[in-house]
Amino acid sequence: MTLVYIVLGTIFGFILSRSGAADYGFIQGMFLFTEFQLYGILAVGVGLTAPGIWLIKRRGRTILGRPVEIEQKPFHRGTVVGGALFGVGWSLTGMCPGPILVNIGEGKLYALAALAGAIVGAALLGSFYPVIQKPFGLPALKIGTGEG
Amino acid sequence: MSLILNDLVPIHWSIAGVGIAGVTLALLLLANRRLGISTGLEDICSLVLPTPYFRRAAVLSGRGWRLPLLVGLVLGGFLSAALSGGWEPIWALGIFDRAIGLGPLGKVVWMFVGGLCVGFGTRLAGGCTSGHGIFGLANIEWPSLVAVLSFMAAGIATTQLVYRVLFPLVGAP
Repeated sequence: MTLVYIVLGTIFGFILSRSGAADYGFIQGMFLFTEFQLYGILAVGVGLTAPGIWLIKRRGRTILGRPVEIEQKPFHRGTVVGGALFGVGWSLTGMCPGPILVNIGEGKLYALAALAGAIVGAALLGSFYPVIQKPFGLPALKIGTGEG
Repeated sequence: MSLILNDLVPIHWSIAGVGIAGVTLALLLLANRRLGISTGLEDICSLVLPTPYFRRAAVLSGRGWRLPLLVGLVLGGFLSAALSGGWEPIWALGIFDRAIGLGPLGKVVWMFVGGLCVGFGTRLAGGCTSGHGIFGLANIEWPSLVAVLSFMAAGIATTQLVYRVLFPLVGAP
């Protein structure tokens, strides 16, 4: 199964690389409203994934016969504050988490700094979770903010 | 507009959208996996940090599939470069070079600070463009819509501030 995940990741990474989703200029163009490439990708991606998820949920089982159970993300103040902070970071780096890795594969050296920052950022969130749990109304540590 | 990578013309957005939906649905249909990349940052942290947050079952149980997926993302980027004129180390950053013009050290600092926001922000929000933006919206989860509106609004505000106020380019960027 590990190989399947590597192959799916490779396909995903190749598409992100060639579509502009991992390109600093296209990300800035999206936020400047001068390039609509990324809006198109997101619209088609969500528009096709939605009926697909609905069908798979109705089927209720994976190809291998295991039950399909989708864990929903909880809502808390971190959804808004964390989302906004991520938006600032996405604008500054021109990369969301997937494209950071894609950019590294492409040979963009500055993406290594973005990855280092992202790992340190995630480490800080994890380390200070008990401290910020109450002010942000986050779920119990065992559950976390949501997978994804 | 072309990509920074080898000055390529990007594939059509509809093809990219179909491909991303295909990968997302394949993960769910093959293995009951909910697409989400930012939790992979926690998986990486969990390899070295023994703090309780990174010892959660939710993190440890996902490493077996999410870490290979992350490796694939790097491979995909590498193949994309290698198959389109060759892989080579890149420092070029397009509009950033024209408007802001920082050298390698400045870019590293800029990217590290931005990366901090990405890492802390996505994990505080419980997801990123993939988990909230693609999967969450497609699964009609309202917290994901709130997250998407939050990060799009902040991204628009930041880029507008950087490229229209602080470092404006003459003419269309």
